[in-house]
Amino acid sequence: MSRPPVYRPSMRGWWQRHPAYRRYLLREGSSALLAAYALWLLAGLVSLAAGEAAYERWRELHGNPWVFGVHLAALLAALYHAVTWFRLLPLTLPALRWGGRRITDRTLVRGAWLTYVALSVGVWLYLLGGVR
Amino acid sequence: MSEPAKITLEVQRYHPEQDSGPRWQRYTVPYTAEMSVLEGLQYIKDHLDGSLTFRWSCRMAICGSCGCMIDGEPELACHVFLRDYAPGPVRVAALDHFPIQRDLVIDHSDFLEKLETVHSYLIPAEERTPADGTHRQTPQAMADYYDYAQCINCLLCYAACPQYGWHPDFAGPAALALLQRYNLDDRDGGHRLRERVIDAEQGVWGCTLVGYCSEVCPKGVDPARAINQNKAGSAARYLLGWWRPGRRRGEDRE
Amino acid sequence: MKRSHEPPLWLLFGAGGLLAALLGPALILLTGVVVPVAAERGVEVLGYEATRELLARPLVGVLLALSLGVVLWHAAHRIYHTLRDLGMRAGQGVWWACYGSAAIGTLVAIGAVIALW
Ligand code: SF4
Ligand code: FES
Repeated sequence: MSRPPVYRPSMRGWWQRHPAYRRYLLREGSSALLAAYALWLLAGLVSLAAGEAAYERWRELHGNPWVFGVHLAALLAALYHAVTWFRLLPLTLPALRWGGRRITDRTLVRGAWLTYVALSVGVWLYLLGGVR
Repeated sequence: MSEPAKITLEVQRYHPEQDSGPRWQRYTVPYTAEMSVLEGLQYIKDHLDGSLTFRWSCRMAICGSCGCMIDGEPELACHVFLRDYAPGPVRVAALDHFPIQRDLVIDHSDFLEKLETVHSYLIPAEERTPADGTHRQTPQAMADYYDYAQCINCLLCYAACPQYGWHPDFAGPAALALLQRYNLDDRDGGHRLRERVIDAEQGVWGCTLVGYCSEVCPKGVDPARAINQNKAGSAARYLLGWWRPGRRRGEDRE
Repeated sequence: MKRSHEPPLWLLFGAGGLLAALLGPALILLTGVVVPVAAERGVEVLGYEATRELLARPLVGVLLALSLGVVLWHAAHRIYHTLRDLGMRAGQGVWWACYGSAAIGTLVAIGAVIALW
């Protein structure tokens, strides 16, 4: 018996079908700004190796409104990245137990944010302390 | 008596013998506060248009056969109420990402084939016969997999997964959640068999953690978790394969 | 079923993502906002001598280079998959463009750090 034809839906414009898809693309897209920042630091590192004049030029460029704007955008992207990364972190771990009780997602996410605060403060102190 | 309230349903139609693609058809249906969208569809079929085709059975979110897209969200038609969409128009379409056979009826044979590949049944860790009695388990051991055991194969999660939409080879959320359900069962000893599925291109590595599948699941299964819990272990096995390539090759010959 | 070769890519992606989440905001705020705002007020932050002295320490330098590397890798991984998600038929060329540039970036960073010694 021949089967009647089926209709196969297409994926064209799939991200328009639900906000969850757009949030997903935003999350993935935030990595482009993270990469831009990493490349900017890489340029700083190379200019540091090239000597004082090159490094100072790189440092002065931070005052340029465009560079400053991209940094602000990268800051927002990094925050969005952190929020989504920590929220999804528990999904990647096996069910953990502590004294017979299951550690909840909430505890894990809080732990991640505590680590975030500790490391942020630590890096600031280390880098600013190194300056003096 | 006052006129009953009315709601407009815009239903996706597709009859392969006459339509080249889906089209929309509007129906106006009287409804009461306790009527589900499924009951709206049944009203259409009984009173307005007998040619409308859709699946249902239990009418109580148990059988998993009435899944469809309602205003763009994958839902069980028996699990949502007309009153929440009134006065409409509310759009009812076939589940996304699946071939449509007729109106709201999709072809789910792809999922059924996948279900056979994931070994979603108990493979006893030790040889047992009925004479050994009940295969007992502590409540805590059961809690490890209980959520994953709630799946009713409604396929809403597949309709929420763009990776499945792009790559129909991907085993997908429910099949992998059911795989994990048996892997986490302490009476089971079949994880080596299931690792082949997990580690495959069609296995957990087809997932980019969009996460929408877990949001739409009407049973709280959390398939995104079931899948992503496996990535670290699968990656560890991969690196071990670099370390001891013989082991992996020997397994393939089994 | 064919075994996936995604795991090593994913591990590096995960390392970069975790690092970017833990340290990204603090670092961007420091180098991208505090540096120019302090310069406006005539305060030097991350000046040449101090930064050079800091990054010439082998451990700090190598850690920075590898961190930059995994963050680039993280982005390469996400961009590659997003291009596919958007419907691009991304073949070998796109694959190499994404992951290859991340690898080159890592090598440049390591080279720059070694040049500081
Ligand atoms: S995991 Fe949830 S959404 Fe997916 S088929 Fe099972 S019950 Fe339905
Ligand atoms: S009719 Fe059974 S789940 Fe809706």
